[in-house]
Amino acid sequence: MKRPTSLARRREGAWGWLFVSPMVLVLGLFLALPILMALWVSLLHWDGQSNPFTGGKATFVGLDNYRDLLTRDGLDRTLLATSLRNNAYYVLLAVPLSTGLALGLALVVNQRMLKGRSMLRTAFYFPSVTSTIAVSTVFLFLFQGSGAINNLLSWVGIKGPNWLTDSRGLVWTTLGGLGLVDPSRPPGASHVIMGLPLSEWLAGPSIAMCTMILMATWTSSGTFMLIFLAALQNVPRELEEAAALDGVTRRRMLWHVTLPAIRPVLFLVLTLALIGSWQVFDMVYVMGQGAPANTTLTPAYLSYQAAFDNADYGQGAAIAFILFALILVLVGAQRWLLRERQGKEGRPA
Amino acid sequence: MTLTDNAARTDARAETPGPAPAPAKAPRPKPVPERAVLGRFPRAVRILGYAFALAIGLLYVLPFVLQIANSFKTDADASANPLALWPTTPSTAAYQRLFGIADAGESVPFLRWLTNSFVVTTLVTAGRVLFDSMAGYALARLRFRGRGMLNVFVLAVMAVPGIVLLIPKFLVLNSFYMFDSYSGMVIPLLVDAAGIFIMKQFFEQLPREVEEAARIDGAGTFRTFWSVVLPMARPALITLTILSFQGSWNEFTHFLVATQSEQYETLTTGLARFVAGGLGGGNQYPLKLAAAALATIPVAILFFVFQRHFVRGANAGSVKE
Amino acid sequence: MAPPRPHTHARARTRTTARTTTAVLSGLAVLATAGCGSGFGSSGGQQQTRAGNQRLTVLIAPSSTAETTAVKQAVAGYEKTSGNQVTVQTAADINQQLGQAFSGGNPPDVFYVNSDQFANYAQGGSLYPYGDKIWNLDAYPKSLLASFSNDGKQTCVPKDGSSLALAVNPKLWKAAGLTDKDHPRTWDDLERVAKKLTKGKVTGLVTSEEYQRLGAFMKQAGGWVTNASQTTMTADSKANEKGLDFVKKGLNAGWWKFSKQVDALNAGEAFGQGKAAMTIEGSWLDGQLAHDYPDTDYKLFDLPEGPGGKGNLAFTTCWGVAQKSRHRDAAVDLVQYLSTSEQQQAMAEKFGAIPVRESSAEAYFARHPEFEPWSPMAKGVQGPTTVKGMDKPLAQFNSELLNLRSAAPKTILGNLQHNGEPVIKEAQR
Repeated sequence: MKRPTSLARRREGAWGWLFVSPMVLVLGLFLALPILMALWVSLLHWDGQSNPFTGGKATFVGLDNYRDLLTRDGLDRTLLATSLRNNAYYVLLAVPLSTGLALGLALVVNQRMLKGRSMLRTAFYFPSVTSTIAVSTVFLFLFQGSGAINNLLSWVGIKGPNWLTDSRGLVWTTLGGLGLVDPSRPPGASHVIMGLPLSEWLAGPSIAMCTMILMATWTSSGTFMLIFLAALQNVPRELEEAAALDGVTRRRMLWHVTLPAIRPVLFLVLTLALIGSWQVFDMVYVMGQGAPANTTLTPAYLSYQAAFDNADYGQGAAIAFILFALILVLVGAQRWLLRERQGKEGRPA
Repeated sequence: MTLTDNAARTDARAETPGPAPAPAKAPRPKPVPERAVLGRFPRAVRILGYAFALAIGLLYVLPFVLQIANSFKTDADASANPLALWPTTPSTAAYQRLFGIADAGESVPFLRWLTNSFVVTTLVTAGRVLFDSMAGYALARLRFRGRGMLNVFVLAVMAVPGIVLLIPKFLVLNSFYMFDSYSGMVIPLLVDAAGIFIMKQFFEQLPREVEEAARIDGAGTFRTFWSVVLPMARPALITLTILSFQGSWNEFTHFLVATQSEQYETLTTGLARFVAGGLGGGNQYPLKLAAAALATIPVAILFFVFQRHFVRGANAGSVKE
Repeated sequence: MAPPRPHTHARARTRTTARTTTAVLSGLAVLATAGCGSGFGSSGGQQQTRAGNQRLTVLIAPSSTAETTAVKQAVAGYEKTSGNQVTVQTAADINQQLGQAFSGGNPPDVFYVNSDQFANYAQGGSLYPYGDKIWNLDAYPKSLLASFSNDGKQTCVPKDGSSLALAVNPKLWKAAGLTDKDHPRTWDDLERVAKKLTKGKVTGLVTSEEYQRLGAFMKQAGGWVTNASQTTMTADSKANEKGLDFVKKGLNAGWWKFSKQVDALNAGEAFGQGKAAMTIEGSWLDGQLAHDYPDTDYKLFDLPEGPGGKGNLAFTTCWGVAQKSRHRDAAVDLVQYLSTSEQQQAMAEKFGAIPVRESSAEAYFARHPEFEPWSPMAKGVQGPTTVKGMDKPLAQFNSELLNLRSAAPKTILGNLQHNGEPVIKEAQR
């Protein structure tokens, strides 16, 4: 190998910067800079009618926007609390559902003896490549009160709810159905946290939100399935063959050989799902914009609404940063938790 | 955003790139003799298994079938018999309205949406393929001051949840006088961190010898990149093209905050506003379903032709072993 | 996985790639130079005053397809007489689109302004006050003009107005054995006929869940959200509770349903499809039914009286002109044209917009006495709330009203009181 001269080095350095210059420009100007601008705007009371960076009519209010959202009693805080509750239930259901379903699908499609598995794989994956807007349109149609889904349900004698307009919480509805709680008078109504009664916090996702969770599961399981599938195909065959020689059952093989081998990928998918599901926006925009009764309002949509509907850009930006911080904390917490577990369980039995 | 919108970009993060990651030209791993490790399932279980797999498969396909079927119905028919796979009175009224054949005065500006989507998607895809591979190559191969810092920068950018950028993007476009224009729709999307990451990973595992040889032959940095490296990167470039096309075709939030006039509406923003607001009509589901179906077709075609690359894209970088 | 081999035909391929890349790059260059978007502080400066050859944009939020068509036709007439070009755009969510446009510095020249958003826009300085330029301003009813004045100036003029009326489906009415004499004059009457009309797939009364409809019952019970001068919140009054209690009773008994419960986007659709025997809507109902459900006939009655007497709500929208418009004069000119008696009559005939200039209104009701219940000029009609920032608590109120079936009216009203108080205090500072 010839040692590069210092001139060649310098020239290479210049080329290097030339090659990355579009990236630096675009990512710098349209990603890094705007975040700083928004951070500034989140400290202003700005109604969007003037230029906030050259004085104008925007007033500097310090942390007031954050205070209104987090500590000061009022509608702003109640709305943020509502949206956080909604999104938390969404995450709690959508993440395990889509991960579990994706893993199941991957195991099915990975069956080497299954005929037509490439067709199945195509079918499972297709919803993932279409746009959320188009899919939401279809789901709006299917889940109407007298729509296709309820028609199907009526064949087996079930009277389905009016999915997307039903604001009743799943928890109280279920407990009410079992006769344990009176859904019109749920417990904890008098105890208020962040402007939202405890009974509301505990109400669970509304039926409308559940519909969105179903849709999210349906559209995202395909991508996750592919990630699992690649991992499954990378499980060393010798490992499985050795286990087979030992005469293990199918179930033990899954639990003690296959799953431990793909654990890192399982964690990866969980993280991806967690990050993604705190950002639900597109389907909220199409399927109800927070309706019915704010039960599908998410922080992401609330941020948009505060800024663009109510011309309170400072508050919108503040909500976005609160959401950002929340995602960072949760992803950090999840990593830490899963890392612990990995260490404790030690080697696969 | 659904769970997966960010999957592609976040996938790529997957910490340290392993020694032999995915995007390489994958001569489909020659399936070693198709033999199960464990014996076959008993017959009864197999039949049950097939029935189950078929049922699940149907669950994934049926919504699309119903969508197409209902787009050919009349409004009344669609609301009365939403499950019927064949319209009682087949009607192409929805499609005629979309293409402005009937009721010209009040049709949905579908052709404009379509044109905008095509123009923007083409430009964004072209830009991403070029700029992402340039940046990826520089970060993987060229030695220059600040490279380490830029690598960290790319990773940091990928870590920012896209939804947090809604208001910031609006602010910056306004400051640059790019709000409500094609340039504002396209330029911010021309480079994406995930694409750079995919390309960088790919270039990192190319053998250095070829480049060295080219350089000894007297080729400069650009010539080496252009005539030697890029042609070798074909599989990765195809993956990137498809990811970019799909990504920008389905892009919604950026266009939502970057534009406001009707003339800049794309299939996603136009359809979303139409479906969410109704524009003063009733539900008009056949029309909405038809528009949604037509918006899906280009990506669907791409998907069925290049399925292999989609699969690779979804996995890009996420496979660590 | 094997690394790919270098391609042997690299040279040939390169040439084509190079050509495509050049094309792409030049395309991007064009794009960058042809940016011409808008941004903070753009426009507003250079005013185009010369008549003729100006390009105007009009943004409307149509209540029906008929309305879009009617506005487009009216505008076409203006194009002919003025020589200006006008593009009519329809907004699905006009508040959001206008908000974005105002801060983006590129608003449409002329647009609908909802009375509930008026204070926000006017006090933010987005609206160009043009009232003094409109010919014969005295011909508008004072109450409607008051909704659109700010800082002592008439900012914009109402484009039309309407109150609410009870629309009934004559076919279903007759089938239930009811006659004209059964016209519901009181809440009890309403309940009685609605119960009779509720049968199978038909619900007696279907309305939307907004306070913009249900509020009429609060009014009929003698209450309202604020006091008359809009300086104190009066949401948690006993009268308001009584009004909502009546609605709740109907919902729980099943003779009253919200439109979303019957799979309709709005009450007009439910009525048009025959799912509702009665509905409570404004004059936009006429345009929607005529266009989308020409087979559904309807007949109007005055709203029933409650324990507090007569009560109804008025709605109005004005033609806003953007402060940042580059064609303000032409824009005002267009509004002037659209506000002529002739155009108002035409809009009225085409989609049921009730003319608001007093002379036009009289002529209209003389020709169409059957539409009289929709008159926004009647006595005891509550005008829209125009406190700056009040739209947010009211939106929250609407979303809580959807739960009226299970929630207590007292709680809902208490929340509105609580959320509205800081807003009304802030507005008076």
